[in-house]
Amino acid sequence: MTEVKATFYRRMKDLPSTHLLGTGTPMCSGCGGLEALHQVYDVIGEKSVFVNAAGCMTLLSVYPFTPFRGSWLYTAMASAPAGAQGVRDALDILLEKKRIPPEENMEVVVLTGDGSAYGMGLSATSGAMERNLDFLYICYDNEGYGNTGQQYSGATPHAAKTATSKGPLGFPGFKKDLFSIWAAHKPAYVATVIGTEPVDLARKIEKARSLKGPRMIIALAPCPPGWDFDPKESVEIGKLAVKSGVWPLKEYIDGKVTHTKIPRQRIPVEDYLKHQGRFAHLFEPQCNDALINEIQKKVDDYWDEVQKTTSLDKE
Amino acid sequence: MYRIRFHGRGGQGMKTASRILGTAFFLQGYEVQDAPRYGAERRGAPIFAYVRADETPINERGIITQADLVIVADDSLVPVPGAGVLAGVDKHTVILINSDESPEVWKQRLNISGKVFTLPVETEDRAELRFIGATCTGAAAKLLGVITRESLSQAIEEELGDLGHAVVEKNLHKALTAFDLMKKHAGCVSTMEKTSAANYTRPAWVELPFEDARISAPSIHAAANSVQVKTGLWRTQRPVIDYEHCSGCWWVCSTFCPDGAINVTEQGLPDIDYDHCKGCMVCVAQCPPHAIHAIAEEVAQAEEAKGGQA
Amino acid sequence: MKRKLLTGNGAAAWGARLAATDYIPAFPITPQTEIIEALGNWIDTDEMDARMVTLESEHSMITSAGAAAATGVRVFSATSSQGLLYGMEMLYTVAGWRAPFVLVNVSRGLSSPITLEPDHNDILAARDSGFLQIHCSTCQEVLDSTLMAFRLGEDPRVRLPVIVNLDGFYLSFTREPVEIPDETAARQFVGDYDPENIRFRASSPVSQAVAVLGGSPYSYFRYESHLAAQNGLAVYDEIATEFAERFGRSYTAIESYRTDDAELVFVMMGSFATKAREAVDRLRENGQAVGLLRPRLLRPFPAQHFQQLLAGKKGVAVIDQNISMGMGGVLHSELASALYGQPESPRILLSFIGGLGGRDISLEEFFEISAVTQRAVEEGQVPPPRLLYTESELREVRKLQAVAKVERDELGEKK
Repeated sequence: MTEVKATFYRRMKDLPSTHLLGTGTPMCSGCGGLEALHQVYDVIGEKSVFVNAAGCMTLLSVYPFTPFRGSWLYTAMASAPAGAQGVRDALDILLEKKRIPPEENMEVVVLTGDGSAYGMGLSATSGAMERNLDFLYICYDNEGYGNTGQQYSGATPHAAKTATSKGPLGFPGFKKDLFSIWAAHKPAYVATVIGTEPVDLARKIEKARSLKGPRMIIALAPCPPGWDFDPKESVEIGKLAVKSGVWPLKEYIDGKVTHTKIPRQRIPVEDYLKHQGRFAHLFEPQCNDALINEIQKKVDDYWDEVQKTTSLDKE
Repeated sequence: MYRIRFHGRGGQGMKTASRILGTAFFLQGYEVQDAPRYGAERRGAPIFAYVRADETPINERGIITQADLVIVADDSLVPVPGAGVLAGVDKHTVILINSDESPEVWKQRLNISGKVFTLPVETEDRAELRFIGATCTGAAAKLLGVITRESLSQAIEEELGDLGHAVVEKNLHKALTAFDLMKKHAGCVSTMEKTSAANYTRPAWVELPFEDARISAPSIHAAANSVQVKTGLWRTQRPVIDYEHCSGCWWVCSTFCPDGAINVTEQGLPDIDYDHCKGCMVCVAQCPPHAIHAIAEEVAQAEEAKGGQA
Repeated sequence: MKRKLLTGNGAAAWGARLAATDYIPAFPITPQTEIIEALGNWIDTDEMDARMVTLESEHSMITSAGAAAATGVRVFSATSSQGLLYGMEMLYTVAGWRAPFVLVNVSRGLSSPITLEPDHNDILAARDSGFLQIHCSTCQEVLDSTLMAFRLGEDPRVRLPVIVNLDGFYLSFTREPVEIPDETAARQFVGDYDPENIRFRASSPVSQAVAVLGGSPYSYFRYESHLAAQNGLAVYDEIATEFAERFGRSYTAIESYRTDDAELVFVMMGSFATKAREAVDRLRENGQAVGLLRPRLLRPFPAQHFQQLLAGKKGVAVIDQNISMGMGGVLHSELASALYGQPESPRILLSFIGGLGGRDISLEEFFEISAVTQRAVEEGQVPPPRLLYTESELREVRKLQAVAKVERDELGEKK
């Protein structure tokens, strides 16, 4: 069994109230990805190298400005985990050969969007897990190629309207289950988080920090321009994603998946969908009940399955 | 050739405005070039768009350094250095500003001798100035003097037709009202003489010296220096904390602020960093005791200027 | 036929639509994405009878484009910059399959440092891939070249994929008046796609793109591709002539502007060449005999055209919007090799590098390029290559470096 210490983060008051990540970045107003990142960074701290793949957050560091107190390396869209491999291995060599003292060691963190994580970068991610690379992987998932104007990606949910799925039924495909794909590699840790559940997020990053090997995090990132909602709704929509069960908060460790927050009374998915312009065609000009029910059923099926396995565990 | 530059904020429809004017010129028989200037900036950040129109095909490309007409959809951008509103402005340049203040005030404030016209601001939240593009374009069309009411109307229908009849009607009304408002100043925009090859300023070319890669690699050796970028300039609405009602909770606002622009003081109270708050209003929406409210940035600044507390 | 305002991206999409493209593998990348968005929307609204699929990378996108072409449908795709490079293995690979399709590249400077605005290092990295290349300088030309590209690539004497190149921002996001050819006329010009023996069919098995062992068969196949590319010159001239007859717009392999009586000639590619055109007009007004040559075809390289057009000229200034590290401007090298040893070639061939990463080139700079070239002609001396870069730009970089605290390392503060 993996030893995990008791958490420092029990309630919101335990969260840092001054933030390490610098302000002044060009991320959009109300960005759910940036919200998650600044919370993650508060826990990881500045003894870190962020290895970035092409995405919205490539623009965090634009010469001569960076919001990071620690380090950063931009690689390319496909291969950030391979970049992490190089940095990790080189640091290990330097440590082994005593060319740097132990206090110069750093956490190597991959930072990518869903476009890279679910698609082009998946092969490099798989390889890094297979090699048991000691790194953290943070995917900010805004469910589309946001930086190019929100075309559908492997992370786009069923029926969402994107710049390349403008038809009356939206995106015909289904969001890829990246959590399970990652978990199938049996890495040290896999978790889903969201910036609107900051205590859950902080605990998971804390736990990930305490482990060795590949530690994989997906943060759902409500995206005002990409999902088409007013920036001030950003947190509310994230909370609805959790309450409706659309975004399950869970973790994988030692071969077991645990749900860290089970919505006691799940609200209908409709309450989540109707706040977002990308789903407006489900409600106007008339309600597409069939499609809404289909989405609801997927969510219900998921949680039914969770219930079954949870009760089995108890037996 | 006419050279026209539009300045506004991301989300205020400057691309559409430039396209309406471009199409109006085109319908009038001109050769046209129009383009928005995208960068890394997002909603609320300063952006610009440009239009060129000539009777012969246009060879010039890219940014307009010297414009005949500068249109400022949002007067709060004028003092923002990065917005470049006043770039290349001289006595020949006509400036059209969407502002409650008079042209005389602007002329004096900016120390410019050219013509300045203003259009009255109609709504408080500038990010919501949906019709500002049409209004500015209507006024601009008249100032240019070579675009008819009919071409302007048709251009609006062509550019906004996809958004439905109601949107077209509303924009038509705004644009035509502004068009008529400038009747007295029709045709006051003039074009510049072509640059002569006989008498030009030689470019001050420099030999780039070799520099050590320690200096010449694209690396930043500073930490968190992005704070030098004042993203607070994107803001059109300002969240203001009412400390009498702030419960000093567990700093919900500070944790949720996407930009990390709310820190907590030693007294345990949240403090909004207005240099960097982009005005998303997440804190207003999430504050448990509803102790944060939104006011228009304009109003807040005006009150600050008076020396009062916003 | 209607004339309307279109962006370069819109024009490229119209080209694909009018050519009755069957299949569009796609992947988003700035500043190309509007092309695939426009095509996707037309397909969604049934205005276009085609299938589009978003792949997970450009490497896959170009693979599926080549494979669909090898199965016998008409294929269009588009990318830019890093995307073109990520697909580079497959560019070389599918060109050797000898199955034609059209790829639009929207030029954008390459990483590192990663950037958004255009120069030509991306497209020049594909120079030796086997794709033919047509370079555009106006939105109209983007549409027309896309139509011609299908004809060029599909011609039995060529049968190679073709890239149509346009500059990011300066064309991709810029609207200009574009005459959209009548659909029937466009279809007639492009013609139905006849894939000949390019196919996979149950009744006629074929093994395509197989391996070879040994240099002899390898050399044979590679050189055949080269010969096909060279055939492209004559085929392009034919197609351009036919296009001019049908649509009244002439696109010679090299655009020649006021060069007949010119003593000095600018040579450059892409949208910035229209700036050079403007400069030529101003210089002419001032009594200076200056002209402009702009290669539309870069592969095959119209070497003979250049030799003829530049015969007897006194001086040539090549303005490259690209840089080959450790060598200089690519077009300059190519032109030098085309002109070397030709009896009437101009002795003075100057190299200027400008417009990297979208850096503007001012009218005054063209005037100065002309003056420097004129001086070189008079003195008979060729000055070293010149980067178009001003004192004030360097001062601005110094300010950025101060903010980036580069001096920390310089002073050895960090060890």
